[in-house]
Amino acid sequence: MTNHLHNRNRLCSTDVRLSKYNPLPRILYFDDFDEGLNGWCELVGNHTGDLDQIRPIAKDFRPPQLSSCTYFDIGTHGSVDGTYSLKLATRPQRNHLAVAIKRMTYAARGLVQFETYVTFKSELVPEGEPSAELDESSRWDGNVAPSERQFGEFTFSNDICVGETGPRCHGVVRYRNADPNGKLVQTWLYPTSVEPTTKMDRLGLVPSDSRPDFFAVSPEDWREVPGGRQPLCFNETASKVNWHYVRWLFDLESLRTIEFQCNDLCMDMRDLAVPMHDEEYRGLPNLLNLYVAVRTHLNVRNFLYLDSALVSVDW
Amino acid sequence: MLRRSFTAVLEKGATFSGEFSTEPYEAGWAHEARWFVRVLRSDERVGLQMVPQISPDGTEWCDEGSGSIRLQGAGLASMPIMNFGSWLRLRGTTTGRTGSVTVLIYLALKE
Repeated sequence: MTNHLHNRNRLCSTDVRLSKYNPLPRILYFDDFDEGLNGWCELVGNHTGDLDQIRPIAKDFRPPQLSSCTYFDIGTHGSVDGTYSLKLATRPQRNHLAVAIKRMTYAARGLVQFETYVTFKSELVPEGEPSAELDESSRWDGNVAPSERQFGEFTFSNDICVGETGPRCHGVVRYRNADPNGKLVQTWLYPTSVEPTTKMDRLGLVPSDSRPDFFAVSPEDWREVPGGRQPLCFNETASKVNWHYVRWLFDLESLRTIEFQCNDLCMDMRDLAVPMHDEEYRGLPNLLNLYVAVRTHLNVRNFLYLDSALVSVDW
Repeated sequence: MLRRSFTAVLEKGATFSGEFSTEPYEAGWAHEARWFVRVLRSDERVGLQMVPQISPDGTEWCDEGSGSIRLQGAGLASMPIMNFGSWLRLRGTTTGRTGSVTVLIYLALKE
């Protein structure tokens, strides 16, 4: 372990791309999106080759994009240390969700830490758009960006399956920026019910259609992480991009989130139970998937950007 | 390093009738692009025409100008795009009789 730490610290102090991170002893992967999508792809619901089998809620999570953060007013903004970032974009359709996933398996049941630099925006459109009901320019005070209240939420989730038949769980943390009425919430949340699966759908354990929340059985099944209120830096215009540090430490042994950190707020979550699936799952031994998502609550495109992502472990 | 490529599925079994457009897709990193449009099924005598569009910012669009993709009934057609800006999409419309088409739309990008 000592050698690992020594090598890691030496590596991080000499590589400016890594020095902004705080990895565990072994870096499992480091994805700089200036170098491509690095295995992050669209999540899709299960099927056997017939697209009509896919649950409606899991059929249209949109392909991730390599974004230069280009806007109509300033042109290209770029990322933290380059041009490109991973971008998820919703449709301009209330409740639409975009999800990207990276798939791995684990070699030991230890700690896994996900770190990233993230920012979020609602679509900034030229004068005359969007519709009058969303136009708040007459009430603009020159400081607070009206489009901040048009951004719904972003979510981090893992998908863990232990052994040949489970147990299986999804650790999930969500940042709710605004509610559907445009009221700023700016709070980190965790779910109290499982993330419904295709198997649950086919067993009739959850409604098969028109469910508004992919990550929980009911949209009511969310609680505030203790101490989880945290306004983030949206900045005063939607084309001004400020990046936020995120660190999520998850324990594959206890199947609990240990800590979730965003900038200077670090939340201890080890006493918060992660909902476990009751069903048996096969074909998923040592599953270690990680996904990121963005959902709009209005008919306005919402975007989530990751400059880079680093996953490290203590095995 | 090998030259990078990426294929995005812009529509996955979606059904359209009348005019529509695909969601904006950023492709500034790519040197070349090719659209693939596959009609899975369509109503009788309903065709599909799709025109590539380009944009400097992802919000304002104009036709790319080099042609269009036309399909009548189930099948696959493609069209290359070069010298585009950072954003791509397809503008589409069903043709012929009133009815709908169900499509898969791919955007294949290469460095």
